[in-house]
Amino acid sequence: MGSRNQILNRIKANKPELLDLPNINTSLFDEGLDLLKEFTKKVEVVGGNVVTLNSNDEIIQQIENTFTDAKVKFSNLPNTASFNTIELATLQNPHDLEDLDILILESNLGVAENGSVWVSDSEIPVRVLPFITKHLILVISAKDIVPYMHQAYEKLTNKDAGFGVFIAGPSKTADIEQSLVIGAHGALSLTVFLKD
Amino acid sequence: MSHSKLASIFNKDEKRVDWHDKALWFVRHKRDLSVHNVQGWEELRNLGHGIKAHMLSNLDNYLIQFEENAKKNGVEVHWAANAEEHNKIVLQILKDNNAKKIVKSKSMLTEECHLNPALEADGIEVIDTDLGERIVQLAKETPSHIVLPAIHKNRHEVDELFQEHLGTKPCDGDPQYLTGEARKHLRTKFIQADAALTGVNFAVAETGGFVVCTNEGNADMGAHLAPVHIACMGVEKIIPKQEHLGLFLRLLARSATGQPITTYSSHFKKPRKGAKMHIVIVDNGRSEQLSRPDFRASLHCIRCGACMNTCPIYRRSGGHSYDATIPGPIGSILSPGKDLKKHSTLPFASTLCGSCSDVCPVKIDIHTQLYKWRQIITKETPQPFVKKQAMKAMGSIFAHPNRFETVGKIARWSLRNLPQAMINSKPNAWGKARDLPLGPEKSFDQWFKDRENEKKS
Ligand code: SF4
Repeated sequence: MGSRNQILNRIKANKPELLDLPNINTSLFDEGLDLLKEFTKKVEVVGGNVVTLNSNDEIIQQIENTFTDAKVKFSNLPNTASFNTIELATLQNPHDLEDLDILILESNLGVAENGSVWVSDSEIPVRVLPFITKHLILVISAKDIVPYMHQAYEKLTNKDAGFGVFIAGPSKTADIEQSLVIGAHGALSLTVFLKD
Repeated sequence: MSHSKLASIFNKDEKRVDWHDKALWFVRHKRDLSVHNVQGWEELRNLGHGIKAHMLSNLDNYLIQFEENAKKNGVEVHWAANAEEHNKIVLQILKDNNAKKIVKSKSMLTEECHLNPALEADGIEVIDTDLGERIVQLAKETPSHIVLPAIHKNRHEVDELFQEHLGTKPCDGDPQYLTGEARKHLRTKFIQADAALTGVNFAVAETGGFVVCTNEGNADMGAHLAPVHIACMGVEKIIPKQEHLGLFLRLLARSATGQPITTYSSHFKKPRKGAKMHIVIVDNGRSEQLSRPDFRASLHCIRCGACMNTCPIYRRSGGHSYDATIPGPIGSILSPGKDLKKHSTLPFASTLCGSCSDVCPVKIDIHTQLYKWRQIITKETPQPFVKKQAMKAMGSIFAHPNRFETVGKIARWSLRNLPQAMINSKPNAWGKARDLPLGPEKSFDQWFKDRENEKKS
């Protein structure tokens, strides 16, 4: 307790007079983006793929055709029990997901200006899933894409997530002589399925 | 050692300096391309500045609000007045949880507190998991940049380091191979870790949650696997509301690397089921900086690194020449506030060109603050005899037009007529490592008068 009060008192004594909190006028940033076009462009710039497909069955089909040697798979799409090879309900330890090849997650928020997609505790039953998987597949409806981060947070207000993350692309690093390498710790690839 | 002495060590390898300079300029250029595409960028910066200034003016209350909400979320909150206390708290949490192996994601604060050696002294294995940080950790060095910690190392050096420490095959510095090997090596560390430690990019008073931004996903791999997550933050990381994240996340990655957003922007609020979450709030000199009106705005910094990438001095002297946790322009403002004597040369490691202030996403008047530190330092710390005398002489020359004219004449004549060896001799600091131009025939004053006369005739 000692340090807490000491720090707070020092700050109180040293802070300047109260300044107003500026208002954010988001209309200043609006440039009338074509949301789908911008979103697609941004996902591709950071090394992801965008595919337009409408039914979950088709999505599963395409994934199975693309990743033919995937063994450990999980999806949060409805009616995909036959696709899943792991039972999350009985999972004891997040470490057991180490061999996850494919993860499919449905999201209901994407941001056009940066191609990011929001997933939170309600979509990911185990938090480490989207990071530990080798390949990450995100599924989102066109109507759930907002132009800027400002609108994204408007949608997130009062949504009580214990954990949530904006994901933009596969994991990457440029730490070795500034050469971009995809796949540092997290997913090696990202595919976004866009439903009209 | 002074900045200029340390810089001259870095400067010995001319090729490395060139490469370092270009690599950082490339990042600065990416930043430009990216921000010029954002409608209302200047307004975003103004708002970033305004929100941070407001935050500082109400910081104690926001910290209290943050603590209250974090506790409600089931997170334990700790307060550390200084680095020593911070390390003690972290160590205690680890001991309470019987944690022997920890994985860290990049946190400049824990660098500032020298946490690693403190934990290692107690037999704890500490693994830095950001690839750049892991590289400098294996090399037993400190990060030379806050966003690109290993920017001073080339791929062949990394290759050798990995061969020695991770048993990799020689690969002629292939980044893809090296990153893949690091991935395997670090996976085992993530899986075995007893605790994970992360920094904090933004802490939200309104919700008690905090955001961590990475491109690699290392913070998440650590925090979601280990049974204990410790997040360490400086008091100034607070922002009032969650909606303000919309603004700061737009500013951060674009300024740092030109990306529209980092790959992972993770919002932590409640511990996951069966796991524990701790937050350590650290002062370590920040409340003192808050008391200095001229330098207060340095606490706005969101650690994007843009001022480093653009600084002509930083690019050519390397991060280690600053001998401080935060190098570059912003570090040169923060460090003297901590130890004026040790860091007295840093505010002089600038051309005062103002490029740092131009790129700063939260509009810190960096170059003005550097200038202000210079004035304080010149008054308060002993200056070298030669510099003092030279300044006196300059003062007298500038104060007397006749003297100025005479000195000008001598200088012009010398630059035209004296042999190179004499001009570039030791007493002339300006002739060090550069050739001086040929002196003009006449002074500017004379040239101007002649021109006016010509116009009249
Ligand atoms: S001072 Fe500004 S430009 Fe420099 S790191 Fe901080 S926020 Fe970025």
